[in-house]
Amino acid sequence: MTEGHSPAATEPVRERLPRGDLVGAGVATDFAAPLAASLDDELTGYLRLEPGDALLGGGGSEAVITLADGVPVLTYDAGGDADGPAALAALAGTTPVRVERYRLPTEALAPLHDAVADGSDPFRVAPDAPARELADDDELADRSRRAAPPERRDATGDHDALAAFLADEERVESVRREARAEARARADEWGLTDQLDGD
Amino acid sequence: MVEAFAVASGKGGTGKTTTTLALGMALAQRYDVTVVDADTGMANLLFHAGLADAPVTLQDLLAPDARGPDGAAVDVADATYERHGMRVVPCGTSLAAFERSDPSRLREVVAELAADADVLLLDSPATLASKSAVLPIVLADRVVVVTQPTIPALSDALKVQEYAASYGTGVAGVLFNKVRGDLGSVGDQAERYFEGPTLGSIPDSDAARAARDAGEPLLAHAPDSDAAAAYRAAAAGIDPKPKAAGDVADRFRSAVVPERP
Repeated sequence: MTEGHSPAATEPVRERLPRGDLVGAGVATDFAAPLAASLDDELTGYLRLEPGDALLGGGGSEAVITLADGVPVLTYDAGGDADGPAALAALAGTTPVRVERYRLPTEALAPLHDAVADGSDPFRVAPDAPARELADDDELADRSRRAAPPERRDATGDHDALAAFLADEERVESVRREARAEARARADEWGLTDQLDGD
Repeated sequence: MVEAFAVASGKGGTGKTTTTLALGMALAQRYDVTVVDADTGMANLLFHAGLADAPVTLQDLLAPDARGPDGAAVDVADATYERHGMRVVPCGTSLAAFERSDPSRLREVVAELAADADVLLLDSPATLASKSAVLPIVLADRVVVVTQPTIPALSDALKVQEYAASYGTGVAGVLFNKVRGDLGSVGDQAERYFEGPTLGSIPDSDAARAARDAGEPLLAHAPDSDAAAAYRAAAAGIDPKPKAAGDVADRFRSAVVPERP
């Protein structure tokens, strides 16, 4: 992030976001609350998100979601590992998450949000994508879509974040492994172990 | 022959009941199909199937004395309704009946239904968090996993598969529902992780909501809709495997007794 005026459009998006005024911070147990609060407040600025694994010293990095009138526009992993939908995939399921909410004047974000062919395209997400992919909240997703400007409302049919998730074999296998362990633990708890396969 | 399928998602809001009735109607073109509302805690199939006023339901069969609302003894046939080319066993929504119902009787009911069907579809609870909620998955031969194309929904779908596998239950396929736009590469990518194929992609549709409001299955209410066509194509990808009816009936009868939820 930089102080003062936005640098030239040739610099990467993550280096062009001006620092905003901190308007709130806290640890959220899910992504719905901070996204809904931003939408209700029509916040223009950005959320800085520090996932739970980073809070616990797991070395995860921070992510940023920029907002125009409360509606998500750009997303990136601050460490530079993932942009746009891939950054959402990396964030999904990482609660609890520390959230800082920053306000910026619309004109400070204009060079990132409004410019055409400014290199921000890979960072763009559909207005409802964070609510769908992070918060698992259809109602919030609908509200985000309706609050988006007309030209962005159609940009809601992409499945890029899910594609990025499915491309991460190690991540998917870890979800499966945890589910298998949970299934066995629950079977034990419920007295169903004699129904387990191979037992 | 009979094969029992649990239609499951591990979470709510994916359109499981719409899917159960749609697949049931499509499969009924080729097979004897019985659809059961196995989500006894949050029953809603009766509203989708125009059976909101059904005098006898699964709830009455699950009562310890198996007596209907008028106090007369009821049997499985009394709670089975011929609708849209299938047999439908709805579950009532009375709190009093739910409280006196004994979920362990479900296996007996299903065992009896299994004797008369080629395909048994169990509309399953939207959770994996209790013993009675996983029972349909434990009992079924295979699951049809219903999901939406989002990371949280797909993660829950994977969880359903792993729970099913733990109990020796296979995966008949994965159905993406409420899809906006083109599924793109996601269907093929998902096949790398699921034991069954991606059966199809059902477009997000006002027709499904209208069908629910009208109390009709989608394939009866809007047979020419894109969603109905997608369901018929998906059902064509399910290939019920012949099994001796006795096997399934015995398995249901020998299965675990769930405690009250």
